[in-house]
Amino acid sequence: MVLVLALGDLHIPHRAPDLPAKFKSMLVPGKIQHIICTGNLCIKEVHDYLKTLCPDLHIARGEYDEETRYPETKTLTIGQFKLGLCHGHQVIPWGDLDSLAMLQRQLDVDILVTGHTHQFTAYKHEGGVVINPGSASGAFSSITYDVNPSFVLMDIDGLRVVVYVYELIDGEVKVDKIDFKKTTAAHSAH
Amino acid sequence: MGDGLRATAWKLLLGYLPPSRDLWEKELIENRLKYAKLKEELLVSPSQLTRKKVGALSYCDHPADGVVAGPLKRHEISEEDHPLSLGKASVWHQYFQHTETAEQIDRDLQRTHPDLKFFSGDSSFSRKHRESMRSILLLFAKLNPVIRYVQGMNEVLAPIYYVFSTDTNEQNAANAEADSFSCFVRLLSDSVDHFCEQLDNSAVGILSTLSRLSELLKANDEELWRHLEFTTKVKPQYYAFRWITLLLTQEFNFQCIMRIWDSLLSSPYETLQDMLLKICCAMLLCLKSRLLSGDFVANLKLLQNYPDINIEHLLQVARDLSSDPSTYRLSLTL
Repeated sequence: MVLVLALGDLHIPHRAPDLPAKFKSMLVPGKIQHIICTGNLCIKEVHDYLKTLCPDLHIARGEYDEETRYPETKTLTIGQFKLGLCHGHQVIPWGDLDSLAMLQRQLDVDILVTGHTHQFTAYKHEGGVVINPGSASGAFSSITYDVNPSFVLMDIDGLRVVVYVYELIDGEVKVDKIDFKKTTAAHSAH
Repeated sequence: MGDGLRATAWKLLLGYLPPSRDLWEKELIENRLKYAKLKEELLVSPSQLTRKKVGALSYCDHPADGVVAGPLKRHEISEEDHPLSLGKASVWHQYFQHTETAEQIDRDLQRTHPDLKFFSGDSSFSRKHRESMRSILLLFAKLNPVIRYVQGMNEVLAPIYYVFSTDTNEQNAANAEADSFSCFVRLLSDSVDHFCEQLDNSAVGILSTLSRLSELLKANDEELWRHLEFTTKVKPQYYAFRWITLLLTQEFNFQCIMRIWDSLLSSPYETLQDMLLKICCAMLLCLKSRLLSGDFVANLKLLQNYPDINIEHLLQVARDLSSDPSTYRLSLTL
């Protein structure tokens, strides 16, 4: 059982002052083993805050991040799954499933996590699964209207992943879950 | 005592095995099953629990590498069914509440008998043992929310688990974890009040037991008692706390501990606590001349690092002690 927090597009402080209080009260240290962040934090304070939640922090660079040294893409293996991370502003058309699928095949990962659209989505295609955790702060976006703050927590357990989707809708936290599994174990092509 | 015999003897003495041999197999099967069920209920990760709840996975029409493309289906869940839930009834919340306990247990297990390959080191052998002991201690903590886990319980478990695991009977050795759990609970139930801080000053607490040790010493050797209590002010709180709560597991080497526990568990005329106090008293008597010539510092140092002695002699002295102080007083007035 490995818990992986996926979030991003916070745009703090430019478009949002902070994460919603109801999210912050749930995100406590000691529960999460890895954090993957799609980028656009944008400042160091957010980086430091995330580090307090979990020391294993992975960030891909968003176009507004002050830190220029975050990588454009990142891959990591957690249990039986290979995960890929990319902010997504580089993939055009933005949010297009086919283009993202191509990136996924390039990175050769089971789960691709990207952001930029500020809208939660979770798609499956023949190359794997693409997840967009949305914007954890509900920051506005030129692509999406009415952004509800959202983030994702993945429970990776063997060949199965349960994706918990946390959304703040009308001031209340709503949680959904998505369940999927791999049928074959990861080949270790290091 | 041969390895197989000791394990069975302890099980009998602790009341785990009934006196009638015919009933042994039935009891063992039942108890081992109970343990397995407990583990399933309480030690399973929330991940596995939710997997079981869902049952024949209706979601499994979503193999990630299947051909069907499209959005993944979302299912609404309750406030408690997710990992970040703060709800008291949430299995996730309860799971995380115990991580601190689990971490403490892990730390203590790492330090248990570092000189013994059975417990310590990186071999899969010792790791398996630590895993088993961890399960036992964690289960105990969950079932006893008032006491939970207290540092030192790992030391009380160690001899039991070792003896049962090294049983020459394969079936028994394979079920050492389940048997150890039950016997650990039985052994601890006798001294559990000592672990509860709130009971320290009560009639059943550790301080009361320590004063009984004083009384026992006074009844059997007033000279030594006087020298310790008054002349050098070496009170039992300073040295015997650990002797009593940890059932002497910290004072002697492992083989000696097992020999001492043989006597502790099998004493026919008194309770375990009474026998324990007698052994503690004997420990003092066996060092009488050194203690009489020592001051506070020397005596404390000696008692907190009890020297090697002949265990059979120690146990004989313990057995010969007068247990009831009032009988002593009675004979004086006659």
